[in-house]
Amino acid sequence: MANKKLTLALFSGSVDKLTAAGVILGGAAAEDMDVDIFVLLQAAFAFKKENAMTNDRVAEITDKKEDFLASLKRLNAPHWTEAFRTAKEMTNVRIHICGFAGKVWHGEKLDDFIDLADDIVGIGEYMTAAEQADINLFI
Amino acid sequence: MTTEELKAIKVDKSVDARGTSCPGPLLAAKKAIGQIEKGQIMEVLSADEGTKRDIPKWCNKKGYEYLGTVEESGFFRIFLRK
Repeated sequence: MANKKLTLALFSGSVDKLTAAGVILGGAAAEDMDVDIFVLLQAAFAFKKENAMTNDRVAEITDKKEDFLASLKRLNAPHWTEAFRTAKEMTNVRIHICGFAGKVWHGEKLDDFIDLADDIVGIGEYMTAAEQADINLFI
Repeated sequence: MTTEELKAIKVDKSVDARGTSCPGPLLAAKKAIGQIEKGQIMEVLSADEGTKRDIPKWCNKKGYEYLGTVEESGFFRIFLRK
């Protein structure tokens, strides 16, 4: 039986939403889903090498930022980059950087982004994958 | 299976995922299931409330047999047969 397909249009670059995306990716990995992630505007900023490990972007709960980050530590929750990496190790996850988004943040080459990224693509890739997906999410 | 039967069962693999939160226990189960043979029994130890419902659903999708859950002090033992 063919694996189910998940596409994720990942717009947010904030640690809270990226953490949530990592949790969902874990679920997809447990079920051997094929996953295509399209890294759009703010997320492309987070995927830049110099930004990925910083925790200064916690968008929805800015007044609870310290509580949130402390709770992640208390719960032994992996950093979002590690959650994404684990999912990549366990199932077929491809991470595509939107070419336009990359340029917005001065990322012209794949090497400008963390090694989780597989390629730089145009929006047509997303449209094609989303049409074929069993689940399509926007975060 | 009854709680008594589950407590007496001989497991072939025990996965202690009590130090992780969702989706850690599910991913630990996924990793470990490859290490046992079809027909063998595995237990997953989890302190995460959601795992009680995640593992039965996962078993159903993957074709494993969910055997039941035993509640211990502060954690759950969730049993399945590959």
